[in-house]
Amino acid sequence: MAQVSITSLQKSYGSVDVLKDINLEVEDGSFVVLVGPSGCGKSTLLRSIAGLEAVNGGAISIGGKRVNDLAPAKREIAMVFQSYALYPHMDVEKNMGFGLRFAGTPKQEVAARVAEAARILQLEALLKRRPRELSGGQRQRVAIGRAIVRKPQVFLFDEPLSNLDAALRVNTRVEIAKLHKLLGATIIYVTHDQVEAMTLADKIVVMNQGRIEQAGKPLDLYYRPANTFVANFIGSPAMNMVEIEVTGKNKARTLAGGELGVPLPARAKAGDRLTLGARPEHLTLGAPGKGLTGQLDLVERLGEVGYAHLDMAGGGRFIVEVRGDVKAKRGDKVGVVPDPAKLHLFDANGKACAS
Amino acid sequence: MADNQQIEMVGMNRSAYLRVLAFFLAPAVLIYTLFSVYPLLATIFDSLYLRHEGGALTFNGLGNFQTLLTDETWSKPFWNALRNNLIFFIIHMCVQNPVGLALAALLSLKQLAFRNTYRTLIFMPTMLSVVIIGFIWQLILSPLWGIWKMGLNAVGLGVLFGPYLGQEHTALITISLISVWQFVGIPMILIYTALLAIPDELVDAATVDGLNQWQAFFHVKLPLIWPTIGLVSVLTFVANFNAFDLIYAMQGALAGPNFSTDIMGTLFYRTFFGNQLQLGDPTMGSTIATMMFVIILMGLLVYLYVIQRRIQRYSF
Repeated sequence: MAQVSITSLQKSYGSVDVLKDINLEVEDGSFVVLVGPSGCGKSTLLRSIAGLEAVNGGAISIGGKRVNDLAPAKREIAMVFQSYALYPHMDVEKNMGFGLRFAGTPKQEVAARVAEAARILQLEALLKRRPRELSGGQRQRVAIGRAIVRKPQVFLFDEPLSNLDAALRVNTRVEIAKLHKLLGATIIYVTHDQVEAMTLADKIVVMNQGRIEQAGKPLDLYYRPANTFVANFIGSPAMNMVEIEVTGKNKARTLAGGELGVPLPARAKAGDRLTLGARPEHLTLGAPGKGLTGQLDLVERLGEVGYAHLDMAGGGRFIVEVRGDVKAKRGDKVGVVPDPAKLHLFDANGKACAS
Repeated sequence: MADNQQIEMVGMNRSAYLRVLAFFLAPAVLIYTLFSVYPLLATIFDSLYLRHEGGALTFNGLGNFQTLLTDETWSKPFWNALRNNLIFFIIHMCVQNPVGLALAALLSLKQLAFRNTYRTLIFMPTMLSVVIIGFIWQLILSPLWGIWKMGLNAVGLGVLFGPYLGQEHTALITISLISVWQFVGIPMILIYTALLAIPDELVDAATVDGLNQWQAFFHVKLPLIWPTIGLVSVLTFVANFNAFDLIYAMQGALAGPNFSTDIMGTLFYRTFFGNQLQLGDPTMGSTIATMMFVIILMGLLVYLYVIQRRIQRYSF
């Protein structure tokens, strides 16, 4: 297994820059998840690491060796594709062994490695089947098996769960996490699903418009988002945000006029505009007049918790986590009280303010 | 019964269901019967009769077929036409379809510029009238003023030139290649479509497995388009054994020189409609037409029961 490091990576299609100065370190044996909205460049980055896309600048090295000019097969990587990309005309065994057989590996070794992978993934009973005789989940396992058989330095997963149904997705997610522990493999994994990112990753890399917005441990990203994009993207429901104007020391008001006591950074002066962010679980509903003011729109009850959706006085919507009964009815005015210790402040450029 | 279940499913009683069936099936059945089934049966029927001078018909059983296959007056042209037709078909299979495959593979390359232009240009001759194709090639190959001769002379290969269409040993090959040139667009388009249906990720997977473009083509794409190649082959077979027009346009009904380009279609034409001193003989013509039908049928049966069963179709 090996470390992957990417420095100043650039990639453009004509005049469109899809990757802009990407710098990323993937530690040996770690599970890194690239996450971001569609078109953010995460798949392109993965395909660049695989060697399926040529890059315009920067360096990619795997295990300390620069691989920019190496063919994909020489990079010691294995890739699991979104559509699984199993060869339809080969049975499971041939699919898994194809790369090795093609590279001229002795037959016994191919057979042994395929058998080993089949054992790990419980595919033994399916070895003689064609892909079309397999269910989605089984195809997925074969695709992973094909990667394992290659004994790569790095596994690359391109949205591997997006073609599975919800229940299977949860199962397979757990399987992949177990597999990571079992193989001790370095994994780079692309998804647009932040739940997958949060549950699987050692390190999450949030991408947007060809740039890395923030990279870090899942909970660090959750508790200390570096900017409004990450704050919005990580966490479900998303973080609530409202623009505020500083009125004095640790005092601010919303643009709608609600007065707030919030711990502000020392350098905040009266008149500064900031964005206040609060996660749904760090807000509580109170009597009207306390904190911010909103009008209750609806309450989603999920069992253990519920989410109250509010139309805020200054425009915009808030989602507040509620436990137990909500007395207010639809259309009632309610107060929204933030937990001052758990608030996030972002400056006018969307960057988090150091507190 | 499955039948009753179906009827229940559409929520109709039996007679209403049958009326609906009849309503939707009748147009196709009528047209197909009138223009396809009836002429075929009439031809087979005709081939069993002998026509006497004055137009009287007598039943002759399979006598016409016996005459066609054994009486030297008939059997010599028949076997000659069948042999020529086979050569015509083999040249198509060995040239038209591999070239069509190669063109399709080239067209499916992402880095190729002017793809649509090439595709249209290569497909163009297929849409032209055979008469125009024949005329153009006669001009090109003309020993007197043809540009083919000038072209060969210009590159110093003038010795290779001959009156290709006028020599017995070159005429059939020349005509076959002209037909290949005209129709190569059809296998190209069919195979190109099949290649486009193969997902890019499959080729990516092959690339990660260490295959280059060539190898990915032979090991991944080609096995997936065998069904289309099979289909192209059977279409070629049917078209070749029904061919007539190009030879009629270029060499006339006598399919010269000395019948060296005579194929089943031209033989049938001369027999049925008559030509120059030869009188038309509808019953013998029908016999030849029936033989053509039997040959094509046998080819189709081989395809359906031997080849198609071994080919697996894939969905992606």
